[in-house]
Amino acid sequence: MDWDIKTDTTLGEKVYHAALDPGPALYVLPRGGYNKKYAIFSTRFGSIDNNFRIEGDGGAEEIKVPDGVAHFLEHKLFDDEEGNAFDKFARYGASSNAFTGFTSTTYLFSCTDYFQESFELLLDFVQSPFFTQESVDKEQGIIGQEIRMYEDSPQWRVFFNLLGALYQDHPVRKDIAGTVESISEITAEILYKCYHTFYHPDNMAIFVTGDVAPEQIFEQVSKNIAGRTYSPAKTIERIYPREGQAVKQREIVQELSVSQPIFNMGFKDTYAFLDGKALLFRELATELLLEMIFGRSEEMYTQLYEDGLLDEHFSTGYTAETTYGYTLLGGRTKDPGRLMERIWEGIERTKKEGLRHESFIRHKKTMRGDFLRSFNSLEFIANNYLAYRFRDIDFFDVLGVLEEITLNDLEKILHDHLKEEFHAVSIVTPFPG
Amino acid sequence: MLALESRTLPTNINLHLVPIEKFKTVLITAFLQQSLEKETAAKTALLPAVLERGTRKYPTYRDIRIRLEELYGAELGLDVLKLGERQILAFSLEVIHDKFAPGEDLMRQGLTVLKSVLTEPFTEEGVFKKEYVMQEKEQLSKEILGLVNDKVNYALERCIQKMCAGERFGVYKYGNVEDLEDITPGGLYEYYQSLISENPLDIFIVGEIDPQKTFPLIEETFTFLRQGMKKSLPQVEVQNKPKKPRYWEESLPVSQGKLTLGYRTNTAYRDEDYADLLFYNGILGGFPHSKLFQNVREKASLAYYAFSRLEKHKGIQLIGSGIESKNYEQAREIIEEQVENIKAGLITDEEMENTKRALINQYKIIGDSPSSLLGFFLDGIVGNRDEEVDCLIERFGKIKKNNVVGAAQKVALDSVYFLRSADNEGSE
Repeated sequence: MDWDIKTDTTLGEKVYHAALDPGPALYVLPRGGYNKKYAIFSTRFGSIDNNFRIEGDGGAEEIKVPDGVAHFLEHKLFDDEEGNAFDKFARYGASSNAFTGFTSTTYLFSCTDYFQESFELLLDFVQSPFFTQESVDKEQGIIGQEIRMYEDSPQWRVFFNLLGALYQDHPVRKDIAGTVESISEITAEILYKCYHTFYHPDNMAIFVTGDVAPEQIFEQVSKNIAGRTYSPAKTIERIYPREGQAVKQREIVQELSVSQPIFNMGFKDTYAFLDGKALLFRELATELLLEMIFGRSEEMYTQLYEDGLLDEHFSTGYTAETTYGYTLLGGRTKDPGRLMERIWEGIERTKKEGLRHESFIRHKKTMRGDFLRSFNSLEFIANNYLAYRFRDIDFFDVLGVLEEITLNDLEKILHDHLKEEFHAVSIVTPFPG
Repeated sequence: MLALESRTLPTNINLHLVPIEKFKTVLITAFLQQSLEKETAAKTALLPAVLERGTRKYPTYRDIRIRLEELYGAELGLDVLKLGERQILAFSLEVIHDKFAPGEDLMRQGLTVLKSVLTEPFTEEGVFKKEYVMQEKEQLSKEILGLVNDKVNYALERCIQKMCAGERFGVYKYGNVEDLEDITPGGLYEYYQSLISENPLDIFIVGEIDPQKTFPLIEETFTFLRQGMKKSLPQVEVQNKPKKPRYWEESLPVSQGKLTLGYRTNTAYRDEDYADLLFYNGILGGFPHSKLFQNVREKASLAYYAFSRLEKHKGIQLIGSGIESKNYEQAREIIEEQVENIKAGLITDEEMENTKRALINQYKIIGDSPSSLLGFFLDGIVGNRDEEVDCLIERFGKIKKNNVVGAAQKVALDSVYFLRSADNEGSE
């Protein structure tokens, strides 16, 4: 087979890529010296994919599914006719799990021994749906409790409330797991429909890392896929509502059992569709800009900290997805109103005074170091590699793109993105009394 | 396999080097131990926060952060740990390895920053700067009160606090708010000086390093004055056979109730049969194949999570699960039944085999992360157990059902803590 091998001399890493027909795209990053082997199998199907159209089948019928279906499917895919895949992984001492995000679902395991067996299991269970109405009903109790758990999590609530305020119609505004009500509408039939739409190998990818041999992995995957009869992939058209630039509401407040208020502030980005290097650039540049304004080495942070308006849990970040993007910042505070005022003052001052070259160099260096440091973790490498791949981004381009960013680029984002009209605020506050 | 090269400096600092090639970073961590006591816990916890605010060389927090960023975003982490009845201050600095930053000497420079934070605090009139202490008291007090924000942890911690109310282990790792109030910059500085010069101090370095060069480097870096005498801290109290389980309940406006059961294991980390206890915990609730996950979640659909975990140094096992408040009786019954079943020897061969493999897997990957390596070595120091990972792995292979039953039979239920969702609020 033809490997497409990419070597990154800075990182000292090599990633092997093979295209299979039908998919999935296969990536292997051998990492000697590690006992752990880690493999993931991901599909481009997340919580925002709740409205879609599939070509063929006598015209393209528009399908709408209940909120939370991708996550529900993730839970139920572990089932098989004899029991469930968890139990089988357990026999090999492998640790298996899965997670569902806004745009993708990932199945994973890590192990030290019995890699081949465990990997076969991963390939098999992800490709073998077995849904019954009885097991779907039963899962509603479990996921119901998962939802309840998140209802009590102030970080989670303040975050989703913010997305709900930033976005008018885009499904990113909804909880990944859906609601107790929405998941009650899920049936075995709906799960099959989604499965057959989004779990076609062409819509999926595999990443393996640890002390493994790419050749063997390739053989194993090819053999496993060859034994299955996939019809040619159909084009999936994902339907997202047209999302205006305006935010839905400026402020949202929820009372919860917390010790002090929690404050999140978001800035909605305005692109309608972005991927590849342009998207990566957008992400890195905005993150860099945020560090230059709010970073721990900047005056604003120290001042707000000394005035007791924020604590060490304060954080900033930028999320760059193909159909949406936003800046998020926040943390715990004694006075959300005052904190917001001060943040605005800081942003306006930065706009007036301009960004500083010295700070630019320092934060760039830090981002470079952070990226390298993260490569200690096999999970970090695999999870990010595919998450970026699904946005048509080569994860190994991070350092290169980071270098391309100029101070002018940041000035532009500062003025175009961190604007009053694009912001919304979410506050979780203690119950009165 | 995981070679640890240790040496004790004349100043009574224990140095441990872990030369290991596969990481991109070099991690340096200093662990300073103190006995966990109600009177000193808040004071001890306040120290790292104040030290991180400024040093002689880098007088402000900002100066420190700028220096760290110049070192390719070296990560300085100051943490307060609670291991058994020890409160441990962890001062960590992680830099990328020099091979990724040609021409730099990041480890040496990072070490200078770490040393500065640990041993050369910024002072005014011979004591800690007043503003730093005052501000950090406020921040720490918020941190202590903030425990309630994470309900999963809150429920576990509350169970411990109730269960061990009269013991040192019942003290929260950050102490309590009342004990913060009286702390003065002078008093804290004095306390700091005694702690840094007398208490057990271990420094670890993990990464691609050359011990021949690193030992002298550390020796010349950490030249501050330490007492030559070894100060010994009190041992943890493990044995405890409760008479009748106690029950505690608290109501909060939450969606989900949190059930926590606290058991006394009567097995210490240093005990010969600790591996049996670990095995027992694995059968009961350490993994998805364990009895708790299988019965509370998979069979009864009562919860999303149901686990057991060990406070290994104290000899406590905690079981936690998030449930509908109305299902309290049923969930508790199922949980206790699982414990009783193991005591009665109702363990399948498959459960034995799965647990053995899962534990082996868990311990084999310890060496794959610098921080988990440090965790393992620190456990050994605090718990007086000098055993290599490989030996423990070998033990798992030899454990039989009767060993597990033996460990299980020493375990006794002490306290049940239930965080109930208040009637008028909660789920919508």
